[in-house]
Amino acid sequence: MRASQIAVFVVLGALVLAFPLLVNAYWLTVAILALFYAIVAASWALLAGYAGQFSFGHMAFVSLGAYTSGLLVMSFGVPIPLGMAAGVVLCAVVGAAIGYTCLRMRGPYLALFTVAFSEVLRIVIVSENEVTGGSGGLEVTPLFHTRSDAPYYYVGLVLLGVSLGLMVWLERSRWGLFFRAIRENEDAAAAAGVRVLRFRVLVFAITSSFAGLAGGFFGHYIGILTPDIGSVDQMGLVVAMAVIGGAESLYAATVGALLCEALVEALRSYEQWRLVIFGALLLLTIRFARNGLLALAYQAVRQRGLRGLVSRKAGS
Amino acid sequence: MSDYLLIQALNGLVIGVIYAVIAAGLTVIFSILKIVNFAHGEVYMMGGYFAYFAIALAGLPPLAAVLVAMATAFLLSVAVERTLLTPLYSPTTERKGDYGILITFGISIFLRNIALIIYGPYPLRPPSFWPGVLVIGGLTMTWDRVFAAGAGIAMLVGLLWFMNRTIWGEALNAVSQSRESAAIVGINPQRFYMLAFGLGGALAGGAGALVGPIYSLSPSMGLLPDTQAFAIVILGGMGSVSGSIIAGLLIGLSESMFVAVFPDPSRSLTYAQAFSLLVLMVVLLVRPTGLFGRVHTAME
Repeated sequence: MRASQIAVFVVLGALVLAFPLLVNAYWLTVAILALFYAIVAASWALLAGYAGQFSFGHMAFVSLGAYTSGLLVMSFGVPIPLGMAAGVVLCAVVGAAIGYTCLRMRGPYLALFTVAFSEVLRIVIVSENEVTGGSGGLEVTPLFHTRSDAPYYYVGLVLLGVSLGLMVWLERSRWGLFFRAIRENEDAAAAAGVRVLRFRVLVFAITSSFAGLAGGFFGHYIGILTPDIGSVDQMGLVVAMAVIGGAESLYAATVGALLCEALVEALRSYEQWRLVIFGALLLLTIRFARNGLLALAYQAVRQRGLRGLVSRKAGS
Repeated sequence: MSDYLLIQALNGLVIGVIYAVIAAGLTVIFSILKIVNFAHGEVYMMGGYFAYFAIALAGLPPLAAVLVAMATAFLLSVAVERTLLTPLYSPTTERKGDYGILITFGISIFLRNIALIIYGPYPLRPPSFWPGVLVIGGLTMTWDRVFAAGAGIAMLVGLLWFMNRTIWGEALNAVSQSRESAAIVGINPQRFYMLAFGLGGALAGGAGALVGPIYSLSPSMGLLPDTQAFAIVILGGMGSVSGSIIAGLLIGLSESMFVAVFPDPSRSLTYAQAFSLLVLMVVLLVRPTGLFGRVHTAME
């Protein structure tokens, strides 16, 4: 059993590493976007699923990170990695500020405040078109000048790996426990000695900086930034990805984002219907499987065993 | 210049009435179901299209079209409530607040995208309810706006009458104060959740129908009024219908004045959209209970 598990991991790892050689340019682009969405969805899962802070302003931080880096690189000739780092730092600071401002708000109040923040940021980007390029978009230097997109894929993979590793480590530490205590009951957590104030601000700062990192990567890959990246619809897409996968597990949210992005592209021939299918899937997941479809599948496999599942299927 | 300001103020008041209708619906839903309905703007959008089709396909007169839009929005809302919101009342559901946020957010995405398919992405302009322009002295205003304001005021008066003077309104008030106590005196809360969500939807649909000929219809038209309605509901105080009405007028008026006095005309329209959002953020920070909030209707 152990040997077979190791074999599965080795094969999977080899597949992931060799992915750019196996697919055409179109699916490579899809994979890179999927990696981007995976970082965003996982950090949103940490914020909403673990710490219970239902923020609908997460894409605003993606947008903030992307525009910060883009503007620094384009206007001041800052090297791209430095620009992305600046985006991350700014997102951490603004995230902490938002977390601090929202300390007294719970549940829907927080959701409303963050939606408003996100829309205000989008409107400012649209309106100040002399600086940001407005709705027409801001052209950004790409990270690499190669013919193939493969380098982006590996950079995205490393970014996702490092982000996910950090988030999982955080979630398993004492801090992760504090986050979940805050989610379950803030007053009880405070009574038990959790510094609610500090950890609510911290979780906002940490998850926002991951969003900013993903945003910087996205901007320097796509090459043109539009204010739509911070729109409510994009936020809806990320929420759908995380929730369909399972917002209460970082892995489930990550895999959910990867699979959902692949699904969105695979359904491309259905054009507009795919977002409706996606919306319906989201509603069904929230209504009937709140822990996400992946958690459900995992549970089924664990309870009956993979073999049991297969033989059941073969028997029926 | 002063004529211009006066017209802007009047237009602002008309829009304020529409905002008040939307926000009053949101308030009714909030005070009974204790959820913030993120799909409210999409029901408003649907109402606009229902009225359009009632006029364009069935050839109904304007007033009947508005009533049809309200009735259809009521049925749509009840269907949504029965299929998707029932876990909110079940004792086995964990963290109902989170469930309410997620499910209504999901409903809004679903409705917006299905509207995109059914109605297409291009803005539609329904026929005028009442063509022509009203001229009083130096002031002009289209009859559509006058009609919208009149019908909106009628809806608000009707709502206040229903909430304060009928037995069903009193039952709604009782459920909003305490579900358990209401159940003890023989009120079936399930029926009133349904009624409240339907009523809120009908108000949103009616507002959408009235707005159609003034602006145009598009699948994403609900996004902005949605956030504006949130701003109004919170400014007026969560759960207070009359607070929502006053705050609606206030926001409509001040938004329109903001456009009129903003120094840079090329940006005034986009920044006007941010205006109510900023009001929302400031009120959330400074006075989360709003101007007329009632303590017992605070979030659980």
